[in-house]
Amino acid sequence: MMRLVWLVCATVLVGTLSVYSIQSHEPKADLTYVNPSGIHTLDPARMSWLQDFRIALNIWEGLTSLDPETLQPMEGAARFPPAVSENGLTFTFTIRPDARWSNGDRVMAKDFIRGWRRGMEPGCATDYTFLFTDHIAGAKEYVTWRREAVVVLTALSRLKEGWEITARQARGLVLHEAFQRALGSNTDLAHDLEHDAGGQDNEGVLAAKFGRLNLDWSALHEEILDEHATRMEERFARIGIDAPDDDTLIVRLNHHCTYFLDLMALPVFYPCHRSIELLREREPGAPITAQGLVVYDPQWTKPKYPRNGYPGLITNGAYRMSDWIFKRRVRLTVNPFFREAHALSCRVIDMLVFENSNVALMAYEAGDVDFLPSMAVSYDHEIARLVRTGRRDDFHLCPVLATHFWNFNCVSATVGRHRNPFVDARVRKAFSLVVDKERIVHNVLNRGDRVAHSFVPPDTLPGYTPPEGLARDVERARRLLEEAGFGGGEGLGPIEMLYTANDERLAQAMAKMWERELGVHIELRAKESKTFADDKANQRYMIARGNWYADYNDPTTFLNCLTTGNGNNDSGYSNDRYDQLIAEADTLRDPIQRAAMLRQAEAIIVEEDCPILPIFHYTEPIAIKAYVKGLVPNARLWFPFRYVSVEP
Amino acid sequence: MIARIIRRLLAGVVTIACIYTVTFVMVVSLPGNPFEQGGRHLSVEVEQALRARYHMDNNWLYFWEFLQGALRLDFGPAFTYNDWTCNQILASALPVSLLLGLLAMLIAVMVGVPLGVLGAVKRGGWLDAATSGFVLLGVSLPTFVTGSALLTVFAVYLKIFPIGGWGTLAHLPLPAIALSIPFIAYIARLTRVGMLDVLGSDFVRTALAKGVHPRTVVWKHALKVAFLPVLSFLGPATAQAMTGSFVVEKVFGVPGLGQHFVNAALNRDSGLVMSTVLVFSTLLVAFNLVVDLLYAWIDPRVSESV
Repeated sequence: MMRLVWLVCATVLVGTLSVYSIQSHEPKADLTYVNPSGIHTLDPARMSWLQDFRIALNIWEGLTSLDPETLQPMEGAARFPPAVSENGLTFTFTIRPDARWSNGDRVMAKDFIRGWRRGMEPGCATDYTFLFTDHIAGAKEYVTWRREAVVVLTALSRLKEGWEITARQARGLVLHEAFQRALGSNTDLAHDLEHDAGGQDNEGVLAAKFGRLNLDWSALHEEILDEHATRMEERFARIGIDAPDDDTLIVRLNHHCTYFLDLMALPVFYPCHRSIELLREREPGAPITAQGLVVYDPQWTKPKYPRNGYPGLITNGAYRMSDWIFKRRVRLTVNPFFREAHALSCRVIDMLVFENSNVALMAYEAGDVDFLPSMAVSYDHEIARLVRTGRRDDFHLCPVLATHFWNFNCVSATVGRHRNPFVDARVRKAFSLVVDKERIVHNVLNRGDRVAHSFVPPDTLPGYTPPEGLARDVERARRLLEEAGFGGGEGLGPIEMLYTANDERLAQAMAKMWERELGVHIELRAKESKTFADDKANQRYMIARGNWYADYNDPTTFLNCLTTGNGNNDSGYSNDRYDQLIAEADTLRDPIQRAAMLRQAEAIIVEEDCPILPIFHYTEPIAIKAYVKGLVPNARLWFPFRYVSVEP
Repeated sequence: MIARIIRRLLAGVVTIACIYTVTFVMVVSLPGNPFEQGGRHLSVEVEQALRARYHMDNNWLYFWEFLQGALRLDFGPAFTYNDWTCNQILASALPVSLLLGLLAMLIAVMVGVPLGVLGAVKRGGWLDAATSGFVLLGVSLPTFVTGSALLTVFAVYLKIFPIGGWGTLAHLPLPAIALSIPFIAYIARLTRVGMLDVLGSDFVRTALAKGVHPRTVVWKHALKVAFLPVLSFLGPATAQAMTGSFVVEKVFGVPGLGQHFVNAALNRDSGLVMSTVLVFSTLLVAFNLVVDLLYAWIDPRVSESV
């Protein structure tokens, strides 16, 4: 019996050794850096994490790119600057003749249209569609038309199977021409359904009515799908994006946009090589799925993916991805067809995944890693101290374009069983006036963040000075609370604070301040991050932690979040005057006037209505070995490796 | 014997089906959205269409479709890591975990059994005290402490092993040792108790009286009996070592299966949660079965009683 045990042991050992001995030893990379949690996606139309951007900006190139020091837009795949029409609304980009894909193909204007379209089409696109619909003429109409069709087709694909549909889907369906045609002469029923679909709380009734309808749902689904699919190209052509020839891309905007060239460097505006069409998934006879989605095999971002003759991911940046091992490593090598390929000093770059930041830092200290773009360790205050006292030249504290704030729920009358006092702006303001931000930033956290008096970080966005915000004033806060009918905290039930475990210390400190100064009772509710996000988005909270990272270099990347109906407006705040100021600022061409108007708008949120309470602007600790040159700490943690050289 | 195997196999299938059902109910009743990432909200239309596409808007359909896929060994897409399928994620993580787990169990048996025997033979001596102390430490110290300590000593100060990661032979020993420590302790304790029992029994006395060398008695005759409780522990323990190494993986940056167990649940990645659970439960059932069969083979009395 023991002999058997030894036999098993020996087999395992020999197996292990042989597996590892046949693994080839690759050359060491010129630069190795750590990405704490791996890549979420490399699809430019879907990505929204900074660590994904960091790879994307090195393997793709937009019409512009960003200067690694100043973050100002500069030449990318197109000549810089592009020709701009008299009224400032039409941009004509000329693609560089030497812009090349990593397989040697020329980068053409229609490659950009293909990429941008993926950023708009339901099915491929996710978070950044608003950059198209907000700025490019006709994009909003197209996306709305597509989304309506998706609602109808989703509803029909459910009805076809005999499943219930939602009120939203029913509304979309009853308004659809083809559905009304199918009902035929039965106009009373059509009116009846339309009436029901317009109501708010009759989802069950409506679903039952649809269940009883004796229509051929399959035929209707097929008809609508066909009709929609045939009109897609014609509808898309109405968007203000045109490629009259291979080198020219003409973009028409729907309003003046001072930061449009900045946007052109973002991943969602990257081009897409035509080989992706090999991996398009479709219903028989239609270019879209049964739900009306445009879907590609999500594996198209793999360096090697043999299916339908797909050659693997083709990109147009300075580097190409030569290897991607899930949650372990991404290896970038120079794109041999890139215009300055021979001049790049860093030829091979490895991105490693260490889920544990302590281990990442150990690996850095041991010299296995050259660059840490973030150090989320529990002793971050110690790292801040080392930087401040000048003991570590290779550690840097980057003030980034990001704000930590707390949302007040501005809409729900009750939260759980308790009345929500924060629908009253005076209560929000009273709570805002009490928090000692200096103390939180310098004593509680003490990791070098900057105290925030405004939503938009100061000094980092060109030409914009945020309003001064509210100074701490406990007396005024108490008076405001009394005016609102809650003098001395009387009548206020328990106030709930919603956050994730990371913010425990901060939440405790804030709760203490409110309890001491305002006589209220605070209940702390730390939740797991997805539950937290769900509660926050659906306004199931009174006070909830928020944070926002800038997408581009303009105050509107922050201020738009609080406009009425914005998908990221978690506080549910709505103020016509604010919306109007933001909208009006977009029509102004004079940057000084525009900045003044935006400042006026921001003053409403940080000085009057207080839907959010900004606490600090983030500072990110990063580590760069002294022998790595050309990696510049910047406010967006945007690191193009083509300017980097590593001294031996 | 064959009827017994078939009976056990059927029971295993029922067990896995129950586990799948319970997991499914828990996954679909959790609040949170697997399609959302980076704290930005998806449009309602698109989210509903995506749910419809993966049949996640109808729990019955989703339940059966996922089950059918799983039977064909196709676990579908991972929602958090859009560019990968659950199959690819399992295929990249499972070998790592299997290797690490097997290696850890190997170390645990090779170190734990002799320690237990020594403790029993030198009962009450300093060697017994030392092994008992080690057992106590091994059981009570969490792996993130022992792991970090190993890393600090052998990787940071002595620089014998790399600090973390995976891919070469040098990456193996530290996480394997860290993972094996609690198992060593447990096996040593089981062996010691079993050995103490056996050493007092009649056949041992008879063998010694007949003049068999004490070493042969202990290692050949007594251990064969004392090893049985260890063997029954090895089944679930091996499955656990292979899949439950989340902490060790995190400390050493090992790309194994344990991290997906935890992260998939946190990310509400329903497909990945169910596929990891299915893989783990299958392993657990399989190892238990193998151990039971071995048991019956070593000790024929068992097959009669079960």
